[in-house]
Amino acid sequence: MKKKVISLMMSAAMAATVLAGCGAQAAAPAPAAEVKEEAPAAEEAPAAEEAPAAEEATEDAGEPVTLKWAIWDESTTQYWGDIKAAYEAKNPNVTIEMVDLGSQDYMTVLATELSGSGSDFDVVTIKDVPGYATLVQKNAIIPLDDYISKDGIDLKKYAGATDQVVVDGKLYELPFRNDFWVLFYNKDVFDAAGVDYPTNDMTWDEYDALARKVTDTSFGSQVYGAHYHTWRSTVQLCAVLDGKHTILDGNYDFMKPYYEMVLNEEKDGVCRKYTDLKTEGLHYSAAFSGGDVAMLNMGSWFIATMMTNLASGEYDSSLCGNWGIVKYPHAEGVEPGSTLGTITGLSVTTACDTPDAAWDFVKWVSGEEGAAVMASSGNFPAIMTDEVKTAITNLEGFPTDDASKEALNVSNLYLEVPYGENVSEINSILDSYHGSIMTGEMSIDDGIAAMNKEISALK
Amino acid sequence: MGKMTGTSNIGQIDELQRALTETIERARVEQDDREKKKLILNIEKYNSRIDKLRSGRMISRQTRRDLIAYSFIAPNFIGFCVFTLIPIIFAFALAFMKWDGSNPVSFEGIDNFKRLWGDTFFKAAFKNTIIYCIGTVPLTMIASLALAIILNQKVFGRGIFRTLAFFPYVASLVAITSVWKLLFHPSKGPVNNILYTFFHVPQENLPQWFSGGLCVLSMILFSVWKYMGYYMVIYLAGLQGIPGELYEAAALDGAGTWNQFRYITWPQLSSTTFFVVVMLTINCFKIYDVAVMLAGGGSGELTVSATVLVYYIYQKAFIDWDLGYSSAVAMVLFVMVLLVTIIQFRGQAKKEA
Repeated sequence: MKKKVISLMMSAAMAATVLAGCGAQAAAPAPAAEVKEEAPAAEEAPAAEEAPAAEEATEDAGEPVTLKWAIWDESTTQYWGDIKAAYEAKNPNVTIEMVDLGSQDYMTVLATELSGSGSDFDVVTIKDVPGYATLVQKNAIIPLDDYISKDGIDLKKYAGATDQVVVDGKLYELPFRNDFWVLFYNKDVFDAAGVDYPTNDMTWDEYDALARKVTDTSFGSQVYGAHYHTWRSTVQLCAVLDGKHTILDGNYDFMKPYYEMVLNEEKDGVCRKYTDLKTEGLHYSAAFSGGDVAMLNMGSWFIATMMTNLASGEYDSSLCGNWGIVKYPHAEGVEPGSTLGTITGLSVTTACDTPDAAWDFVKWVSGEEGAAVMASSGNFPAIMTDEVKTAITNLEGFPTDDASKEALNVSNLYLEVPYGENVSEINSILDSYHGSIMTGEMSIDDGIAAMNKEISALK
Repeated sequence: MGKMTGTSNIGQIDELQRALTETIERARVEQDDREKKKLILNIEKYNSRIDKLRSGRMISRQTRRDLIAYSFIAPNFIGFCVFTLIPIIFAFALAFMKWDGSNPVSFEGIDNFKRLWGDTFFKAAFKNTIIYCIGTVPLTMIASLALAIILNQKVFGRGIFRTLAFFPYVASLVAITSVWKLLFHPSKGPVNNILYTFFHVPQENLPQWFSGGLCVLSMILFSVWKYMGYYMVIYLAGLQGIPGELYEAAALDGAGTWNQFRYITWPQLSSTTFFVVVMLTINCFKIYDVAVMLAGGGSGELTVSATVLVYYIYQKAFIDWDLGYSSAVAMVLFVMVLLVTIIQFRGQAKKEA
């Protein structure tokens, strides 16, 4: 049985190599509609993963182990399968069983699955920090510190990301994927308007002026200088990039200038209205690929989406094929390259019977070998080395200009949501009042005052 | 087990028989209802005991019949217990506790209920739910009754119109909310376009149908439109149950249309109306899907102006994992529905008396 599975894996990997040879067209297009909200969903990359070298001489052929692994969107995200195939080839005694919980409410479903004692997951993927906090509070996942010190893992290679998810001095997850926010722009729109491209060193004021410059409000040929997706992160979290504030502060007055900037842009037709976007449920990928948006602030997961969907013809390359990225704009006096990040991590469950095997898997995926697998499909692993960056920028379809390559150098990474007590409640409250401010139900001042009041009321 | 009608048994049976006859005599002359019921129960008891002794079986015939009857109920009742009754009792208990689904439960007393007073989101959800109910129940009732009366007459294309009125009820909620969102789109929707073009409403004053104060109004309009077809069918059945002679007699006495409605149709429909109002109120308190679909906007998160109780229960339970507090909110909802139902039952009982 075990052999059968392994041989199946091998043939699948071989088939992947053959496909890669056929070129990008062979990659199955992932419909944009399936790119779910919030999911840093990377679709099929132009070049499929190299088949892992078959290792006949098994290093540690121990007892056969099956690890049950919780993931989302298996069919539209290539790296899950890549990781499984590569890890199983390396460890023939281990079978990874993936369980797809869907991306829409992944963390809610996972928390339900892990409630009580009936769970049989061994390794779970952690999609966001509020969900992580919930699992830690529920004692559903175990601290990894003992393993980390035993195996001598240097957390410095995660560039500070792990420090922001430490709970009472303990770390419960290791990140394997690290997305950061950049500014996507459509070069054709700038060319048509005769305006210079955005640069890697822009303040928010310069960015705002640039957005207004490329905007065209004449009916029928509208061009939007900027686009803000309906997430709280796109507006509110520009404010935490000065390094002085976080969303756990309890006082949110520092967010006011950014709300003013976006709402003024909305009023002047520089960006689409929040209420329109909410009513339509328009996805940011549809907005940007429509060719009438000059700049979009979004996470680096969208890079892989752009490359795949342009290669497959899903996006019209005459509308958005000429794109580039630059670093996130920064506040006055802050180092360029300061940006928001989102980590995706792996944890071992409390219910796991074989924690050592599960830990080995977690360690491998979040380590250098896992990073190489991630980079091969255009995704950003948590360990960013120069090789990884080169691997990604050399992929077919990545913008060829130097500024886009330079944009991948991050100087300071602030997690969208760092760990804190009550982070789940804080998240809900901020989301709610973000909606109230953006729809105009509340003035900016009232909305921020309500945030301050509600969050300081939490214990 | 064979028949063991020994001498002692026969003696016992005689004794019981005597007691039975005596009780029957007493029951005959007893005036007090309560006493009479008690005596009848006793008669049954004697009967079953005599029966048991005569047949010499462990289980009397009556008990056996009862057991068979219970066994028919059992499959449904066990399911009801496991999936409904026990969870409800558990939720009652949880309302006084703190639990996150994994860690040990701790008793909190009425702290959860105290927290409700200071909770902005709870108060908003409570307010929105009440407004929604107050708006939806009478409007739906009036609309469905009016439709039923019109479509009960011999009008042209009656079948088609009945089907059309019923259609929103059977159509998928997701599909029709999408259509509503297109119609009421704040800047591209035809409704706002008409307001802008024909009524010259300035662009910045065009209503935002799915946010702010109008959100609940949109929800009310939507629900009335979606559910009036269903209640129309119930009213139609009620209307057809009214005997035609009543109208004939009224017409002979010179009653006009309004008087016929006022003194015949409306009183005759009172039990139908009672049913419709109870069902509508309970369904209104349960509102969740309509709010999330109309005002959730993709992420399914509701702001203060659109949040409703059931959504808040869900959010507290499965996003924040505060199951105790969430149960406390559910208790509030339960008490509200209970109160409304009791009031309506009382009113109905008075009317019938």
